[in-house]
Amino acid sequence: MRHRTLIAALAIAAAPLAASAAETLKIPFEYHKLDNGLKVVLSKDTTAPTATVTVYYNIGFRNEPKGRTGFAHLFEHLMFQGSNNLGKMEFVKLIQKNGGVMNGSTRFDFTNYYQVVPANTVETVLWAEADRMKGLAIDKDNLTNQQGVVKNEVKVNVLNQPYGGFPWIDMPMAANTNWQNAHNFYGDLAELDAATLQDAKAFFETYYAPNNAVVVVSGDIDPVQTLGWIRKYFGPIKSSVLPARPDISEPNQTEEKRGVKEYLEAPRPALAVGYHAPKRMTAEYFAMALIDQILLQGKDSRLYQALVQDKGFTDEVSGGINAELGNLFDINGPTLFQAYLFHDKSTPASTILDAFDAEVEKLRAAPVDKATLDLAKVKARSWLYDQMEGFYGFGKANLLASFALFDDDPGKINTLEAEFEKVTPELIQKTAQEYLRKTNRTILTVPGKPEPPKVSKPVGF
Amino acid sequence: MNKTLQSLALAASLAAAGAAAAQTPAKETPPSPAAPRDFTLPAPKHFVLENGLSVTLVNYGDMPKVDIGLFVAAGNSYEKASEVWLGDLTGQLMREGTTTRTGAQISKAAAQMGGQVDIGVGTDTASVSGSSLSEFAPDLVKLVADLALNPKFPASEVERLKADNVRRLSIARSNPQQMATEKFREVIYGDHPYGRIFPTEAQVKGYTLDQARAFYDAHWAASRARLYVAGRFDTAAVESAVRAAFSGWKKGAMSHPAPPRPRSERAVYIVDKPGAVQTTLIVGLPTIDASHKDAIPLAVTNSVLGGYFSSRMTANLRESKGYTYSPFSQVSNRYRDAVWAQNADVTTAVTGASLKEIFYEIDRLQAGAPSEAELESAKNYMLGTFVLRNSDRAGIIGQLEFINFHGLPADYLNKYVANVRAVTPAMVQQMAQKYIDDTKTAIIAVGDRKAIEEQVKPYGPMGPAGR
Repeated sequence: MRHRTLIAALAIAAAPLAASAAETLKIPFEYHKLDNGLKVVLSKDTTAPTATVTVYYNIGFRNEPKGRTGFAHLFEHLMFQGSNNLGKMEFVKLIQKNGGVMNGSTRFDFTNYYQVVPANTVETVLWAEADRMKGLAIDKDNLTNQQGVVKNEVKVNVLNQPYGGFPWIDMPMAANTNWQNAHNFYGDLAELDAATLQDAKAFFETYYAPNNAVVVVSGDIDPVQTLGWIRKYFGPIKSSVLPARPDISEPNQTEEKRGVKEYLEAPRPALAVGYHAPKRMTAEYFAMALIDQILLQGKDSRLYQALVQDKGFTDEVSGGINAELGNLFDINGPTLFQAYLFHDKSTPASTILDAFDAEVEKLRAAPVDKATLDLAKVKARSWLYDQMEGFYGFGKANLLASFALFDDDPGKINTLEAEFEKVTPELIQKTAQEYLRKTNRTILTVPGKPEPPKVSKPVGF
Repeated sequence: MNKTLQSLALAASLAAAGAAAAQTPAKETPPSPAAPRDFTLPAPKHFVLENGLSVTLVNYGDMPKVDIGLFVAAGNSYEKASEVWLGDLTGQLMREGTTTRTGAQISKAAAQMGGQVDIGVGTDTASVSGSSLSEFAPDLVKLVADLALNPKFPASEVERLKADNVRRLSIARSNPQQMATEKFREVIYGDHPYGRIFPTEAQVKGYTLDQARAFYDAHWAASRARLYVAGRFDTAAVESAVRAAFSGWKKGAMSHPAPPRPRSERAVYIVDKPGAVQTTLIVGLPTIDASHKDAIPLAVTNSVLGGYFSSRMTANLRESKGYTYSPFSQVSNRYRDAVWAQNADVTTAVTGASLKEIFYEIDRLQAGAPSEAELESAKNYMLGTFVLRNSDRAGIIGQLEFINFHGLPADYLNKYVANVRAVTPAMVQQMAQKYIDDTKTAIIAVGDRKAIEEQVKPYGPMGPAGR
């Protein structure tokens, strides 16, 4: 039996926590590639007797087939409907009866399947993931059933909600011009209904191959033993010939765009502003992430202070870079820096925009002072740790998988703090000038339904 | 209590379970897991200050971060009928400044520690919660204490916060899940504070600074509070920071909310949402609370029935019928009170058909015990998630607070595994018979009345209409 308090005490002894001693986190990892092209990342962490096992496929909804909006996500559901050796839903039962939690998700640039399980069950889970990478075994009933489930998912999350897809679906559709980035990725119900078993077979054969995937196992593992299992179960799976990737680039935006979303049950107006972000992993991208910390994240942020605390326009300003569907690093193609809020009819959106722009323009007009930048860096470091810990440590595997999949370099996880450190006040200003220009943005407003007549009541305190 | 619009990742799938198809013999079987590894619960250090503040420090993990939670018996259940959300306004005002810091200075101080600090108000407890990088743990303790002990109640912020609450109220009441919960609570609890989750707009607008201050004076005190620190930190430094920062807090006296007298009868309550593409269903009733000897067997029963993806409800409503995306059942606990409920957002046209399947599954569990394998799966899932909860700073704090709030035995966590393991198939059937009596369930249906009224009629007499 391990004594976790002892472990913690030793760790502290190794790195004493004086009041000012900031630590830099170093994530241990191994990176391998099997002969069939499968990328493998292993990261040992003995904090708890648990492990994360995840498979990422390099296909997201950005690149789903035209005429089949929502298909990448529908397909993700189908991966739980049966494989060669596991019938419908037996994958889930296998994980849960072994004490694990699991899910899958579909994002712009990948589809992932992940499990957090007791560490003694890692081999079982790897076998099951390899089994469904080998082949789907689903029938028309499975497809029809999951079409019903996914349509209900769209209804509960969008169609039966007062603000519908605002802004997480609406903004990418409004801000982007390339279909790959601008279609309804949750899916039109009619296009979801149109999907066939043949579509599923073709999609699987094209994209669900070892040379289009990464397996990450992190947690209380023996890396040598774990790599052996991965070779045993995934090694025999044949690679595929991957099609050329479509052009996912967004043209440089040169004029501000405005759109109105009429949600008739929305009780209050809402406002969203989205800017195209710099290319991922560039110096400007890290600067943009710090701008996000300065402007938007936390109650100390400038927009919170201005729009909430000082002006009282709203109670919260939300958003970030790819914040609605992931984080800074688990996206590969074009993404948006977005802010949104809900307000009252008595305050026109234009008044809020004026106050918003006043804060943005400060960043464009002059370099920030050192204290502001230092604060943003502390917040970014803390944010990064939170990301890694998310969902019982799955967040760390998410970053390792993304860097392996998109950059062929999971070691990037250990360079992030240094990249944030490198950002200068001048780079913040330059990035704000280039990316926070009005001609690089889209403004979406929800007018909200008419307010009922008010009965005024004297208020005193 | 206020919930803003969900922003959801395309959380997908999951699954569910199910209706187990017979194995085809030719198939490979998964390799068996190795022997489970031992799991030791983190060892907390516990002490009580002279003023009655209960303090628990859990030094845990490798990540250089720390979480703090201060839980106070100052939630909505202490509000009078004329005071709904006064507790929220009180917490919001406390966040707007202390005698030595403005709201903006509080935010900046927390951010400089790589963290944040906030006040939340729940049904029974209000909380000050904070997190920071490890090296700032003692400073975070001081900041949390400053918010709890020295609020300034700035008059300048009252009107703004009230306008925010009016807006939040309006948005919350347009959300079908919140509309359903509001009706469910009202039906079950009537006039008790648990029965009113939303104030009127006029109430929110009418609250005064003096009322908020009085609510604070009556409820925020050391003997009504429990403090937890979890994560990586210098234990001695944090302990001395706690003693220095909290010893001056007034003692006060603990009080519990008046016990509710929940009502339980089979009836259907429609809340009209014209044109809704789905019906938001809650089927539920009052049940035993967390301190009851059958609470763990009931929790296991709930897992089998609808509490996880491999449950019967998910297998049926989702994976067999495709009526819904994320059905779930749960036991939700308040002080010496609990309800069991099955929730599902179903396509409008199958509202009646969904109720049929929900009652079918309840009846089926009452009529026959689950198999050993089905039960074993539910137990293992509960024990697996128990380990996960106790491997996470926020989870550790949540677990310890659950035990303390409900006054459960100190060895509750250490005996949890054995108590879950001890549940038998026959017990599960008995629990379903005893505590999920479907002749007494209220049925809430938020949806298009015209389209669903005939569908739901067979399932009970109509209760009074909703809004």
